[in-house]
Amino acid sequence: MKTKYAYFFLLPTILLLSVFYFLPTIQVFYFSLLDYNVFGENEFNGLSNYLRLFNDPNFWYAILNSGIFILVTPILMFLSLMLALVVRETSSTIKLFRSIFFLPVVTPIVIVGIIWRYIFSEDIGLMNYLLSLFSFSSVPWLTEYPTNLFSIMIVTVWRGFGYYMMIFLAGLAVIPKELEEASRIDGAGRIHRVFYIIVPMLKPTLILIFVLSSTAAIKIFTELYIMIPGTPDSNKTLVYFMYKQAFENFDFGYGSAAGVIIFILTMGFSYINIKLMEER
Amino acid sequence: MKRKFGTSFFILIIILIFAAAALFPFLWLLGTSFKGAEELFSYPPKLIPQNFVTENYTGVWNAVPFELYFLNSLIVVIVTVILNVLISSLAGFALARLKFKGKEFLFVLVLAAIMIPKELIIIPLYTTVLKLGLADTLMGVILPFAVEGFAIFMMRQAFLAIPADLEEAARIDGCSFFKIWWNIMLPITKPTIAVLSIFTFIGTWGDFLWPMIVLKSQSNFTLQVGLSYMMGTFVNNYRYVAAGSVLAVIPVILVFVFAQKYFEKGIMAGIGK
Repeated sequence: MKTKYAYFFLLPTILLLSVFYFLPTIQVFYFSLLDYNVFGENEFNGLSNYLRLFNDPNFWYAILNSGIFILVTPILMFLSLMLALVVRETSSTIKLFRSIFFLPVVTPIVIVGIIWRYIFSEDIGLMNYLLSLFSFSSVPWLTEYPTNLFSIMIVTVWRGFGYYMMIFLAGLAVIPKELEEASRIDGAGRIHRVFYIIVPMLKPTLILIFVLSSTAAIKIFTELYIMIPGTPDSNKTLVYFMYKQAFENFDFGYGSAAGVIIFILTMGFSYINIKLMEER
Repeated sequence: MKRKFGTSFFILIIILIFAAAALFPFLWLLGTSFKGAEELFSYPPKLIPQNFVTENYTGVWNAVPFELYFLNSLIVVIVTVILNVLISSLAGFALARLKFKGKEFLFVLVLAAIMIPKELIIIPLYTTVLKLGLADTLMGVILPFAVEGFAIFMMRQAFLAIPADLEEAARIDGCSFFKIWWNIMLPITKPTIAVLSIFTFIGTWGDFLWPMIVLKSQSNFTLQVGLSYMMGTFVNNYRYVAAGSVLAVIPVILVFVFAQKYFEKGIMAGIGK
């Protein structure tokens, strides 16, 4: 039965999505072509924001650093798959451990950053103390580039492994038990089973995790804001670059141009992934 | 099936290592929040303070308007959860159960909204909020997140799973669409609503970038913005920040513990299973 009431049900959604999603999406492209003045008239200046971007070494650093962050993806995949494989059974003890692994996932990033900034602190931090026990010299975990990026990657892995473990568990749950049983009867070893039976069956899950983890890597911001606020711009990532141009330098046009580039990069990502998904 | 002792031992070790890694930073934070000034910089660092003090907890309440941070976070989270549930269940109901012109188009729009990351449109979002006069207000933090494409998608899936006869019976009885939605459909989708509420709660409680941009005055700060501000101003008073962090993490842990069973369900829903 057709009904006009449907529009009444959809009215708040249409209103909110238009004002807070679609309009800003169009605007970010428009702003990127402007010399935006927060307090005065805007001037159209064509592609000059983009030209400025491509000549800004800090922008290239931001792209490079965001690219480096994607390296967390294979690490996270490996660790969380390993963990998912060992906690597959659902005894109550295992369930308790699963919850423990999930605890970092629900913790606000700001608090995660606060905890780890202290653990990584150079003179009083725990990390350097542990190193000193094995008579290693202290490491500038947060102050030196690119070490500080790797420190933040450790935090990302710490916060993410429980989440991806859960997704792997969901993926593992749909693998038919008979398949594994059959290979076990055929005499396949544990490692063999993982690589030749389980991993190929998990391809959709692996692609999903690749997408989730990589887009999260591109969008990383808060960890840097909390953990390495004082470091030079060349140590920062794309979203941080955009934030800084817009909300510290009040250059909305320039920041929007950076936003458009990030937009295109993440869209490219989604496109590759849709292609990958079509293959299977 | 029984495993060899060696294998189970190996598995146990892996589980324990990961569990220790997951828990240790929390214990470290907790320990720090009870340390006195002299112990904070003690070397070697100690997990459990030798002089157990509670002054950091009183200190943080006196140093900043911490109770306001807490209240603001609560307001933002509760209103965001309620709006998300109401608006997305209205939309999800229409998209799943009603027939109307432009239905496919509207559903495509919802999917498009899922694909646009909020971070990337944050600049025009801010100018919009400025124009609406919502800068430095909690409403300015809440409204842009009052509905998410993903929430609509989830609710639509839940409504699609309900058998049609139920709705038809109600319609024969003369119920209006609004009544069908409120009296029949909403109660059935309670489990999905629970999952959606919990995930929105956790997500909104931890949100930082957007509230940090919108909120300017201390009395309007949410907890995350306040903690970040404290991190900037009391760099050398890490104990207060640690105490504040412990207080700010308690609500999420409570929700997590009491709503445990919904988390696995939510993740399954999240990946479209």
